[in-house]
Amino acid sequence: MQSTENKYAVRTLEFVERVGRLERYSSICKEIEQEILWYGLTSVSILKIPGPMSTLEESMLLNTRPSEYLDLYVKNNYVIKDPVITELSQTEKSYTWSDIRKKRALNKMQKYILDEGRDFEATDGLVIPIHNLSGEISIFSACGDNPNLSNRARSSLELIGMYSYESLKRAVIKKKKSEIVREPLTPREREVMLWVASGKTDDEIAEILNISTTTVASHVQNSKRKLNTFKRTYAVVQAIKLGEISL
Amino acid sequence: MVTIIKGKDRAEYPEFFTQLFKLRYKVFVEGRGWSLPTKHGLEIDQYDDDEAIYFLDVNEHGIIEGTVRITPTVQSSLTADYFSHLIENGQSPRSSRVYEATRYIVRPSQKSRDLNRAAKSRLLAALTQWCLENDVESIQTVIDSNTLPTFLELNPKVLPMGLSYPYGGGRNTHGGGDCMAIRWPISQEILECVRLYGDLSLLHAVDAISSENIGEMIH
Repeated sequence: MQSTENKYAVRTLEFVERVGRLERYSSICKEIEQEILWYGLTSVSILKIPGPMSTLEESMLLNTRPSEYLDLYVKNNYVIKDPVITELSQTEKSYTWSDIRKKRALNKMQKYILDEGRDFEATDGLVIPIHNLSGEISIFSACGDNPNLSNRARSSLELIGMYSYESLKRAVIKKKKSEIVREPLTPREREVMLWVASGKTDDEIAEILNISTTTVASHVQNSKRKLNTFKRTYAVVQAIKLGEISL
Repeated sequence: MVTIIKGKDRAEYPEFFTQLFKLRYKVFVEGRGWSLPTKHGLEIDQYDDDEAIYFLDVNEHGIIEGTVRITPTVQSSLTADYFSHLIENGQSPRSSRVYEATRYIVRPSQKSRDLNRAAKSRLLAALTQWCLENDVESIQTVIDSNTLPTFLELNPKVLPMGLSYPYGGGRNTHGGGDCMAIRWPISQEILECVRLYGDLSLLHAVDAISSENIGEMIH
């Protein structure tokens, strides 16, 4: 017979396999929402923590919180004051709203933001920070009315959060990649890329083609943009791969 | 460049192995506070036997910047010996086509996020390629649970073998934390993924695509 402890592991490992096989963004979202409901979590947001140049909406991978709540959040710029978010700078580990209430002396504004969740039928929530090697921080933040956030549930939800994030990110990137219509290189850009491929510098290419170095640099720059890269060598690799040039 | 040395050939490279065991002492015993068998400032354990395979990423000055050890699980498995409670999916921790990775270190002498990525990719690409050539089906390893996202970034097919459990006194103790067992399936496709992970030009292109357009995906 299955023990209660093992039940968490079995269903989580099954979820991980299922979500890993899904490719469509909407199917992945549905799968995540259904799974967390088992823990009493009725809303979830999965997002990259916005930097100074981006907004909360742009950074969202998935959000099922009520739109009125999100509007309020954006309007009041809670993201820089919310103790649930500011706690991220102090830890790499997952934490609950109750952990924060216990751990930190909150000011009036911070308490107000936390309490406001109650108006939307959320009494507790779990935040799972996801750090990647490029230094980005993303979070999986789910909440509900008295959800199950026991130690075992948290271990399960940590895995659910990390795999959900990865699957959503994969689906978004794939969708965007397929939507990109590539602009072809001009004959002159192709000619310049051929010389780049043979190892010539911009000065040498300018001399060979009898044009100015600035013009060569501009052709190289445009080719890199069209080939979706910042690097000279990788532009050559892409140009060959896409059939723009052959050696 | 990544050099691959078999445990049975250890005596031929004494200076490399002294450096390796000192580095492991520094990282795991001094740095992470793990309680491991040590001798004269060297960390050597029972899995450093003839069957072990060492991957050493050595720079132009002869300094080890990255390393991982793998062992055939049929003979040597830390997971089977000490962490069998981490396996909750019913799989056996020992199998002839499964190797186990331990003592994983990536420490490039010049540090930046991009160089760390490149170093990690270099070491793990060498490991994946060796496994492909030697008919290894997957690599099994015990990781700190917090690091799972970085493994998933490298290899989206990484699968957990169970949930995470505390070790060495848990999250709030020095030398402790949460750990979990994972399997890293080996295939040509995964080798490409690992190599792409270290390709910095592509990395930034993909990041630009994702952050630019995620906003449209809210439903």
